[in-house]
Amino acid sequence: MSPAADRSKYLALAVLLLPSLAGMVVFLMAPVLSSLVLSFSEWDLIGEISWVGIDNYVTALADPAVLGALRNTLTFILGYLPSVVIIALGLALLLNRRIRGRVVFRAIYFVPVVTSWVAVSLIWKWLLNPQYGLVNFALGAVGIKGPGWLFDPAWAMTGVILTSVWKDIGFVTVIYLAGLQDIPEPLYEAAALDGATPWQRFWSITFPMLAPTTFFVTTISLISSFQVFDQVWIMTQGGPAGATSVMVELIYKNAFSYYKMGYASAISWVLFALIFAVTIAQNLLQKKLDRSDG
Amino acid sequence: MLRRTFTGLLLASALITPALAEDVTIKYMTFSAAPNYLKELDATIAAFEAEHPGIKVTYETAAWDAYFTKLQTVVAAKQAPDAFELNFENFVTYAEKGALADLTPLIAADTGFSTSVYNPTALAAFAEDGKQYGLVESFSNVVLFYNKDLFDAAGVAYPTADWTWTEELAAAQKLTNAGAGVWGDFAPIQFWEFYKTIAQNGGSILSPDKKTVTIDSPQNIETLTWMIDKVSTYKVTPSDVEMAGQSSEDLFKAGKIAMLRTGIWLLGDFTENAKFNWDIALEPGKTSKAHHFFANGVAVSANSAHPAEAYQWIKFLTSSKAAVDLRIAAGWELPAVSDAAAVQGYLDQPVPESREVVFQALDTAVVPPVIGNWNQLTDAVGKELEAAKLGQKTPEQALKDAKAAIEGLL
Amino acid sequence: MAEPANPTVTTDLTTPTGSFPRKREPLLAERAADTANGGSRFRGNDSVLERKRRGVTLPDLATYAILIAGAVVMLLPFAWMVSTSLKTAGATFVTPPNWLPDPATSDNYAKVFDSAPVGQFLFNSIFVSVTSTVLMVLFCAMSGYAFARIEFRGRTVLFYAYLATLMIPQQVTLTPLFIIMNWLGWTNSYQALILPSSFGAFGTFLLRQFFLRLPKEIEEAAFIDGAGYIRIFFTIAIHLARPALATLAVFAFMASWNSFLWPLIITTDQSMMTLPLGLSALQGRWTTDWNVLMAGAVIATLPIIAVYVFAQRFIIKGLSHTGLK
Repeated sequence: MSPAADRSKYLALAVLLLPSLAGMVVFLMAPVLSSLVLSFSEWDLIGEISWVGIDNYVTALADPAVLGALRNTLTFILGYLPSVVIIALGLALLLNRRIRGRVVFRAIYFVPVVTSWVAVSLIWKWLLNPQYGLVNFALGAVGIKGPGWLFDPAWAMTGVILTSVWKDIGFVTVIYLAGLQDIPEPLYEAAALDGATPWQRFWSITFPMLAPTTFFVTTISLISSFQVFDQVWIMTQGGPAGATSVMVELIYKNAFSYYKMGYASAISWVLFALIFAVTIAQNLLQKKLDRSDG
Repeated sequence: MLRRTFTGLLLASALITPALAEDVTIKYMTFSAAPNYLKELDATIAAFEAEHPGIKVTYETAAWDAYFTKLQTVVAAKQAPDAFELNFENFVTYAEKGALADLTPLIAADTGFSTSVYNPTALAAFAEDGKQYGLVESFSNVVLFYNKDLFDAAGVAYPTADWTWTEELAAAQKLTNAGAGVWGDFAPIQFWEFYKTIAQNGGSILSPDKKTVTIDSPQNIETLTWMIDKVSTYKVTPSDVEMAGQSSEDLFKAGKIAMLRTGIWLLGDFTENAKFNWDIALEPGKTSKAHHFFANGVAVSANSAHPAEAYQWIKFLTSSKAAVDLRIAAGWELPAVSDAAAVQGYLDQPVPESREVVFQALDTAVVPPVIGNWNQLTDAVGKELEAAKLGQKTPEQALKDAKAAIEGLL
Repeated sequence: MAEPANPTVTTDLTTPTGSFPRKREPLLAERAADTANGGSRFRGNDSVLERKRRGVTLPDLATYAILIAGAVVMLLPFAWMVSTSLKTAGATFVTPPNWLPDPATSDNYAKVFDSAPVGQFLFNSIFVSVTSTVLMVLFCAMSGYAFARIEFRGRTVLFYAYLATLMIPQQVTLTPLFIIMNWLGWTNSYQALILPSSFGAFGTFLLRQFFLRLPKEIEEAAFIDGAGYIRIFFTIAIHLARPALATLAVFAFMASWNSFLWPLIITTDQSMMTLPLGLSALQGRWTTDWNVLMAGAVIATLPIIAVYVFAQRFIIKGLSHTGLK
């Protein structure tokens, strides 16, 4: 590359990347690194910081509360992630059809996404109310006696998952719709000329062409669902009897209720390691799929 | 009359308050004022500023759920407000960690002021190692609220001071009317209720020196069994599912609970919103009487640049006649002052009839067994109690597990 | 036309190159020709075959049935929220649930407006959210483009560093961030409310993915004309990215609008507080007035739905004017 081209490249980086990088460093990366430093300390936020080496990590990895929260978090992800991705993809395909009123439908499916978690959690706490809730009322109408939902350790997590899927479907659907818009139409025309059925068209064109979208959606959803918190905090506070105690809820409690910021930071970095590993694994898997597909 | 007192106060304060060169602004943070008592707080500040010309007070409020997250963050950044409110349990933590200014020298230098204006028990709660780290702002306790109309309808005599659990259960069984959705009795099964209820049966969580865990004693197992049996065996108390997310207070207001153990902070709400005759009584015990005692205090930050002025403010907020009167009129908890005349206004209010019960309950107060890892202790025990409530564990097993959990925290 | 389109379909985080599976290449050539002729690539998202059909078909009916059933499920809770906000306390806990408030009352709304300076909260929420959304979209578009198109040493590492900020829960970064803001002397200020939500790895990731998929041929033509990255970004790429920008704008607005913990900590004055803080203050320590709370939730939710309805039209408009014609 010529020196002139080099200069133009660095100028471009300075203009395009630097503002974002500066903000990221000050407002996001610096706090994130601080939490890494704090994870080697004992700090109650009130007194002075004392350094304890890797003690927090040793404690965290043997802490039954951490393991319990981890198990509950994984349960949440297993229930939540496949449901939200599959339902949203189906909805996006339907909403992508040229039908009357699809603009209205798209708006409706997006309403839960823009509603705050506080409001959504409160509404669903109500809907899942064993006595007065709409869900059990509807179940009762078809002759099923609904469970105690958030009051029943066996059903509380299902209630949280249901709520989360309901809220996030619109989000994933919109991303899939954006992905579908980018698939060139002639691909379908040619496939139709070849006599492909809609089913074949989906698997040979739509699905592979949506791969970057699927990757984006699963990555983002995975990262955020490892950190599920708001809905749990408002709906169950981790209960009943710890059935919905998740990682970030444990982190929040340690940081602000137990006066253990250092320990909370260490658990956060354990969580980070997990998310990071899963993201990398997912990336490798995706790469392998791409290659075998080609 | 009021104006004269006020002028007198002004004169008195002019004599004892040194003149200040420039205005000092005191930042104050509170949870108890929001969302219902902001007008009273504003009025208290106005009265204070009128009396202390050089000092201005600004405040911020946060809802209870978020208050300590916020307070801890500003404290961590060494940006604590000059004065802030603390409940008793968190006060212990803040005092132990050195976040609070020692008020003892300020009080000693404050001629013309004596801490005898406070209820001594309540004030002592905010001292550590002989040093006064906070002034007591208010106290509250829990008593037995009962719906007189439901008692009359069921032909049951009203609760008296010598009732025990036996009389309570007998009455509750007569008062419960499943068809009408009326429950005879309610007490939550959670940590706070538990440490008080075990005291009514001679039990405790920790030994008096807080070195031995006594939570799994036979009488505690008996107590927890009784608490659960009221729900599952006698069916005089609704389960969580039957309550369906409504608070027991809302159910009481709706006339669906005949006897409710709850806090006197609800007196104002019930007076306004309960459309039936009701009163309060001492709680029945098994072998002894025991009542909750909660206190809120106000402390000065160890890092405050204006500790003397902040002290003037918290003194005014907790003990001045203006502040006390405003609190009593609004039902904003109960000022912990010793002067009987000051709380006469509280006793004089017509509803409920037996307001003196609130003060009688103080004679058998149990203070929470606060330890350094207090919030962790409450969570750990709470989880075990919940497991017992849900039938996942026997009361015996739950308390045994709770014991192990607490031992890890001592 | 410089060369046949070869859009990058990559799901790989590290190397933004890749190609279509071989067997589809002829189709791509066709598509390139279509593009060159001002074709319908970005406009249409339905199969031409479907568009040519006349009348309502069986698949259409099935689609409607599913979509309507889904829409009901999506809207019912919201309808309940509105209905509850118009009910009196006594009419709330009943079985079977009542859909229409009887008696209907606006008292709950009056109580919300009475409890706090809701107008000020509303202004703060709108001002903070709009400003941070504009900044977020701009910064993320620029950085997303840089990550997608400019090759530089350390790009992969830097991109991972961006992503890493998504993987640490906010609960432990709040305190350090507060300390930073305090150093800057920005506590209780609009910039402290705005700036932390003006940057983010999510948006950068979203737009990087978008630019990776964007065919390079148009930019390459501009390169040949001597334009640099900066000019291409501002004159071409950012216009092509409009649908993605609109999508990001909605998400950024939403995140900022609903943000709770950070405003809670950084504001000390009621005049700086935002709506979610007001909503949380409606929940008492001992009792909760459900009807008032739902009224607060409606007030906090309606503006954001309005934003979405507005932005959705913009997305569609953006789709039909992508600058490719």
